[in-house]
Amino acid sequence: MFKRHEHIKFLFPALFLLALVAFFPLAYGIVLSFFRKMPVFHITDFTGLDNIIYLFSDLRFQQSLWNTLLFTVISVALEVVLGVGVAILMKQKVPGNRMLKAFILLPWAIPTVVSAKMWQWIYNGDFGILNVLLMETGILHNPVNWLGHPQLAMASIIIADVWKTTPFVALLVYAGLLTIPDDLYDSSKIDGAGDLRRFWYVILPLIMPVILIVTIFRMMDALRVFDVVYVLTGGGPANLTETLSIYAYKLLFQTLQFGYGSTVSIMTFFIIMILSSIYIYQLYKRFNYMQ
Amino acid sequence: MYMNRILKYSAFIFWVGVGCLFWWNCAKDDDRKGSRTTVDDETIVFKHFKLANAAEQFDKAIKQFEELHPGVRVIEEVLPSNTNMQHQYYATSLQAGSDEFDVFLIDVIWTPEFSLAGWLEDVSDLVPLEERDAFLQAPIQANTYQGKLYAVPWYVDGGILFYRKDLLQKYNFEPPATFKELTRQAQFILKKEKRDDLYGFLWQGKQYEGLICAANEIIAGFGGDILDAENRLHLTDQKSLQALRWMRDTIHKYKISPDWVTTADEEVTRLSFMNGDCLFLRNWPYCWSFFQRNDSPVKGKVGVALMPTVAGEKGASTLGGWQMAINHYSAKKELARKFVTFMTSAETQLQFALTVGTKPSRKKVYQNARLQEQQPFIVQLYDVLRATRPRPMTPFYPQMSQVLQVEFSAAISKIRPVKQAMAMAEQQIYHILELEERVKQ
Repeated sequence: MFKRHEHIKFLFPALFLLALVAFFPLAYGIVLSFFRKMPVFHITDFTGLDNIIYLFSDLRFQQSLWNTLLFTVISVALEVVLGVGVAILMKQKVPGNRMLKAFILLPWAIPTVVSAKMWQWIYNGDFGILNVLLMETGILHNPVNWLGHPQLAMASIIIADVWKTTPFVALLVYAGLLTIPDDLYDSSKIDGAGDLRRFWYVILPLIMPVILIVTIFRMMDALRVFDVVYVLTGGGPANLTETLSIYAYKLLFQTLQFGYGSTVSIMTFFIIMILSSIYIYQLYKRFNYMQ
Repeated sequence: MYMNRILKYSAFIFWVGVGCLFWWNCAKDDDRKGSRTTVDDETIVFKHFKLANAAEQFDKAIKQFEELHPGVRVIEEVLPSNTNMQHQYYATSLQAGSDEFDVFLIDVIWTPEFSLAGWLEDVSDLVPLEERDAFLQAPIQANTYQGKLYAVPWYVDGGILFYRKDLLQKYNFEPPATFKELTRQAQFILKKEKRDDLYGFLWQGKQYEGLICAANEIIAGFGGDILDAENRLHLTDQKSLQALRWMRDTIHKYKISPDWVTTADEEVTRLSFMNGDCLFLRNWPYCWSFFQRNDSPVKGKVGVALMPTVAGEKGASTLGGWQMAINHYSAKKELARKFVTFMTSAETQLQFALTVGTKPSRKKVYQNARLQEQQPFIVQLYDVLRATRPRPMTPFYPQMSQVLQVEFSAAISKIRPVKQAMAMAEQQIYHILELEERVKQ
């Protein structure tokens, strides 16, 4: 009934929309990245590879790339480990379990800007509750300047992000857990496997696909992180928490350098693309092997 | 075969639909433009940010203007008060040549940038040279670019030093005139008061525009400068280095400022001072009305002074405040000029000063008897406001500010030695200023 290439027609509307909202802006971004463009002052010079060459010697870009990678690796690792733990707890049949599930999801339901503002007050060096609690319990003697300390600032941001996104990981892993048939638990119990062995040899392999997919979701999100950093530190102190997205935002919208700003954004895009491609490729290989 | 035909029809319908959408959209745009230029000839749009407690006074002033000019209508459009968001809004819409507003309020640091971009109407004739003396000098200077006045100062602001009158009196101190005195008094009182939660001196050290404001006036107090009129940088001069070292030392050496000032903005420091936990505070005059509220723990215990200097220097506080500008793309510039003249007149400024508490840009208003009676605090600020200093005046200030914020933050948080941070700042800023020369040509 259908000709061989009939299906291509079906794809057109979707492709057209995609081209409109994704490919066109992307291509325009790439084009812009070869220009020095500051429309405010009517500067539009074609500068070829100048922007890219400058990018590689741009210390601020290197700093923000490093910050972004650091943030991504630590926060995603913590979120996945904690998320799996929370998901397993969610599956235990204890009274009040349902309510617990709803409450666990709360941080994920709050808009990031709002929760980041909340964390900003928690971390406040003067009357933030974190310092008060730590000092009341005698763990600290002097208040800590969480968001202004060169190392603690990034750690504080990571904690705020882990708090917010662990529920997301937990939810998806929980869904994965529900697909494991009860017989498997029972038979492994009969075989005499303890809790730890059961987790390691039965549960973990079965939810591995979900974990891997959650990880890539989180990884791509974390590489473009903006809101939580923007609210908590704005990139400070001295850019030690500035991420790629924040740098691109400042270039594009605060100083209106469309050319170089696009170079940074496009580079961010390519970095995310390369990292996720490697990851997805590994995922495919693994699944084919498993089958 | 049947299936095939359905497909063809659906595709046809889809494309017709897309076409309709486009047509409808374009038609809608045309409508809007048409109505603006033909029907509302006597209407101007005035855009300003949400100024606290000012909504009623804006209404009143606009009504007065409309009564003076029968048939004229002024439409107010209000933007959020976040300065960065306003800048982004104006930059993107003026970039696109928008004529949707005629008169708008701009921050004092935008004037050179917007003028060079060609977005502001030259308003030199609204304040003729011989009349410029009627205004405070710094805001006029900040709104003049390449010899022309591009915006009329509407209200001004300047950084000041708040201090606890009661505590200073208790130990027989006069408000500090020099940085040394401030340090000594703070150290002395902190030692005597024996309160863990009392801070000596709070200022804004977060990586943001407020840090530049604080640094700008402390540098001025040490007799230094950031950028001079010939576009030369003075960040690595001894005096500027001393100023930044002093800021850093308040935290690490003299221990009169807590280490969290490196993340503090205006509101955080105001709250701490208002709770009674602080001796000296560098902030803007808006704090005053908060401190005098009935539920304020420091009500009646706060004094105001000029920011300290080193002995022998005059010093200056950082100029802030907002200006009335006219959109270059506006189709009703004559009416817009009348409106700006009206809004910046002594009478309107007086009304805003009385009801909203804005600081007038015209000197004469400070001598008004009603203002002296009802807002003595504003009158008291006259000396501070007369001696303000603008932040570096260049069209590339937004880019320059990005560099300064980072390097100042690095210097005060001990991430880099002060000298190295300032040298890095100079190198980056010279790179930016090269562009200015190119654009001017």
